[in-house]
Amino acid sequence: MYSAAVKKLAVASTLFLLSLAFAESTFPDYPVRRAKECQVSAEKNGVIIGLASIEDPQAQKTYFQANFTKKGFIPILLVIENGTSEETFLFDKTKITYGAASAAVPPAHLGSEAGKALALSVIPFLGRLAAAQVLSTASHIRQNLLKKEIQSTTLSHGVSVQGFLYIPVPKKNTREKIAVRVPISKAGTDETFDLNLIF
Amino acid sequence: MRHTSRTCAAIVARLLLFVAGSMIVFAQSTSQSGSKLPIKAALILTPEFCASEITNGEQFEVGRSACSELEPALKGVFASLTAMPEVPKTGDVKIILIPGFAGAGATRARIAFSDRELNVFLQWTVKDMSGKTLWIGTAQGSAKHHMGNMFTYKKNLRLIVNDAVKDLASQSANKISASPELRTFAQ
Repeated sequence: MYSAAVKKLAVASTLFLLSLAFAESTFPDYPVRRAKECQVSAEKNGVIIGLASIEDPQAQKTYFQANFTKKGFIPILLVIENGTSEETFLFDKTKITYGAASAAVPPAHLGSEAGKALALSVIPFLGRLAAAQVLSTASHIRQNLLKKEIQSTTLSHGVSVQGFLYIPVPKKNTREKIAVRVPISKAGTDETFDLNLIF
Repeated sequence: MRHTSRTCAAIVARLLLFVAGSMIVFAQSTSQSGSKLPIKAALILTPEFCASEITNGEQFEVGRSACSELEPALKGVFASLTAMPEVPKTGDVKIILIPGFAGAGATRARIAFSDRELNVFLQWTVKDMSGKTLWIGTAQGSAKHHMGNMFTYKKNLRLIVNDAVKDLASQSANKISASPELRTFAQ
């Protein structure tokens, strides 16, 4: 009688340990889309950029298993396409800046007072470490955030790239409009231009 | 008897197909890795880069491992490659390769003998000698290992970091080698 109970307990413990060992969370991929199909898009010199903010808590749960809104973040999908037939462009995510849209002015006016205000208000994108550690303590969720993040790349003609950025926002019910500035460079030159998106 | 000989013929035919297929795959991989970029490159491994550690709940000493793995992996990509601690002021180097860690993250296994995964991201910036950027790319290296217990954790951490960085070096070589922009510049 006693030995049967011990056997059952041993089997149950083994099954429990095995389930822990081989349990893996899966995260569905966010649907691929064209830049112009996004919520906001902009185009310059043949480069098209689209931005879609994922603000629905249910969608955040589905794709990230995290509640960004509660933690004061918004995941934004960026889609960048090189629509030219010859040019090559460079996208460096460390050069992305963002800030309150009310302070945003074109970079040509950076010498003006408004320009100085923008220069102070825009914040370089900090990357996943800041966001991921705030968003979740679960390592598999942080790993998913890392894998889904957009990465710096060279955009040969006809090539596109997409991925997420996690932008901090105040934890309020209604948020201010946010401006995201994405600098793009022409490969092998000093030419750089900005693509600005407000959402 | 006839049935046995047919079976033998079928097995021999399949073996031949398998061998032929393997030879094609081998030929493709050697032709890709065999065509080096005909240019002299400098790989910039600064002391800061080699000392890089990524702290993300745990401490990953990725820099030390990268500084021993990157040069051998990239030697096969360029006709000439020299690792140096800073950008050369003079010399016949035509392009410089600047690596920078873009992040790392590992899952945590619940029990000692279950596998966990480490991903390391490395951003590459390739410039010409006038300082203009020719190419940017991000390589991802991954590895899986047991989490380990309180006695084996450190050894397993070292193993997973080394394997992820080895994969990172190999992925970096593939990406740089496949870049049409660098091939055009090199010719």
